[in-house]
Amino acid sequence: MIYGDKKTGVLVQGATGKQGEFHINLMNTYARQVGGRGVIAGVTPGKGGKEVHGVPVYNTVKEAMRNHDIGASAIFVPAAAAADSIMEEANAGIQTIVAITEHIPVHDTMKAIAYARMEGCSVIGPNCPGLLSPGELKMGIMPAGLFSRGNVGVISRSGTLTYEVVDELTRAGIGQSTVIGIGGDPVIGQTFTDVLAQFEKDPQTKAVVLIGEVGGNLEEEGANSTNLPIVSYIAGISAPPDKRMGHAGAIVEGGEGDARSKIARLKKLGVPVASRPSEIPEMVRELFRGC
Amino acid sequence: MKLREYEAKRVIKEYGIPVPAGFLIRSADEITGHIAELGDKFVLKAQIDVGGRGKAGGILMADPATAVAMAKELFNKQIKGLPVKEVLAEQRLEITHEYYLSITIDRSSKQPLILFTEAGGVDIEHTAKENPQAIRTVIANPLMRDIPPFLLRELLGTAPKEIGVIVNKLYRVFVEKDALLAEINPLVTTPQGVFAADAKIIVDDNALGRQGFTVNRDLSERERDAEKYGFSYVELDGAIGVIGNGAGLTMSTLDLIGFYGGKAANFLDVGGGAESERVMHAVRLVASVPSVKVIVVNLLGGITKCDEVAKGIISAGISQKVIVRLAGTNEAEGRAMLLAKGYEMLDTMDLVVKKAVEVTA
Repeated sequence: MIYGDKKTGVLVQGATGKQGEFHINLMNTYARQVGGRGVIAGVTPGKGGKEVHGVPVYNTVKEAMRNHDIGASAIFVPAAAAADSIMEEANAGIQTIVAITEHIPVHDTMKAIAYARMEGCSVIGPNCPGLLSPGELKMGIMPAGLFSRGNVGVISRSGTLTYEVVDELTRAGIGQSTVIGIGGDPVIGQTFTDVLAQFEKDPQTKAVVLIGEVGGNLEEEGANSTNLPIVSYIAGISAPPDKRMGHAGAIVEGGEGDARSKIARLKKLGVPVASRPSEIPEMVRELFRGC
Repeated sequence: MKLREYEAKRVIKEYGIPVPAGFLIRSADEITGHIAELGDKFVLKAQIDVGGRGKAGGILMADPATAVAMAKELFNKQIKGLPVKEVLAEQRLEITHEYYLSITIDRSSKQPLILFTEAGGVDIEHTAKENPQAIRTVIANPLMRDIPPFLLRELLGTAPKEIGVIVNKLYRVFVEKDALLAEINPLVTTPQGVFAADAKIIVDDNALGRQGFTVNRDLSERERDAEKYGFSYVELDGAIGVIGNGAGLTMSTLDLIGFYGGKAANFLDVGGGAESERVMHAVRLVASVPSVKVIVVNLLGGITKCDEVAKGIISAGISQKVIVRLAGTNEAEGRAMLLAKGYEMLDTMDLVVKKAVEVTA
């Protein structure tokens, strides 16, 4: 598993909001099932001293850090304040930051990610479902019921499409090491390349499913950067140019980043590309047969 | 959202980038009041929200004698199917050289990318293909206010120094106006100095509110309606309506329709945790598209409650066939409700899509 395990203490920013409260409960339900630490502190400015599902809430990240051993965080604050939350956590010394928030203006994201890089921390997202390492750690909003533990890593720009693929894998008896959603925005912190580098160092992960989308060329960059065996799927072959397909990042601009050329480039790198999600489990099995 | 040329020019002018003298007119007669200021040669440019307007006849040359006639001609035209409602009348510059300058977002480095070439005025994608070494790029640090001189030297080479000043001004526009793209093409030198002969600005849709825009003009009326309910909606031209949750899954459902030989009518992502009322609006919205013969609902997730979805589908009460794939919380309840009302329920996205394609074939 990557970016944390059972022993990781998680902080949630936006702890007293509807989303934050709802997901603290789910994350800690999972932590209890697997014997992990889960969410141990929350932060909402002005709400210090409160509790959310038994988790103490602080006014600032630094205050929470003084009182707890925190290794990672999940951000549920609204778009207008989310970039500031990323910088606050980076400044306080949190190593891994998962930004769930969607609709953050991209200039805010660029600044926050540049700042986090300066402080030496990794940002996952924004506009992502977070990550789940079966049997270890759920940090974000992924529905735990679909997952099973194993040695396939999954990296994706989507949320529900990831669940679809995980469901297919689990039904086919293929377990996962870590499933991570890196976000659907044009500017994201950890890219396919960064996550693949983590998977390479992880002894549990033997192969990776890379779920991409139209827009940009980060999928190809990632596939080109790793020696791990990969199966890929790219959504958006039917996406018309200049229309954003839900995600701000899923847009074909000036002929760049369309699905067909992306798939062609991946195939050229020797990466098998599924033409629909239901083909993925069989292609993963094929990878293992080749090993 | 893309700004119109006159809006983009107004913005860059505010930031001190010289633009040709120009006036926005909404009828041909309005031009008579501006002829004196436009000089003896000028250009009329249709302000429409589509690209490639020059080739489509949306730009006409004029002089004081032909001004009204040419303006009338332009206002009577349809450019790529769109009526001309606004025309920018602009002084014609005495151009000595054309450059290209743009600032955009580099996904790979996660920072602003500034692009400059001395071979401007033409299609930049063409230059990128035919003559890539003519294009120079530098990456800016989003934590710095200005582009430092060493980067400007790398970017501009032997181009006139005053262009460096323009680069920094355009960078301020890019940052302060939440732009995804700020482009000047061509940036021209004239005996009177440097001018932005054309300008293009695309504003981040996630920043429209703080930039003072209440309406996203890039969206069709139905797309705007969808936005009010919090849906992402894109209209296509097939017969199979699509409702999904999550952009990736919805896109993948569309692709699967293509895979099985069908054509999707739309992309509609209802978002996370959809309640019955929102599902009802989504179903009605898709059903209101005349070409839609059948609707595929493909919802999967932990937060989405299947009984809520079922309630929404049933209360929409539409005439077209709805084929449903539901997985998640309260799945059994949702399934029972829909089956009781005679809806077709299938277990996987492959199956629902295949069925819908069969129905429309």
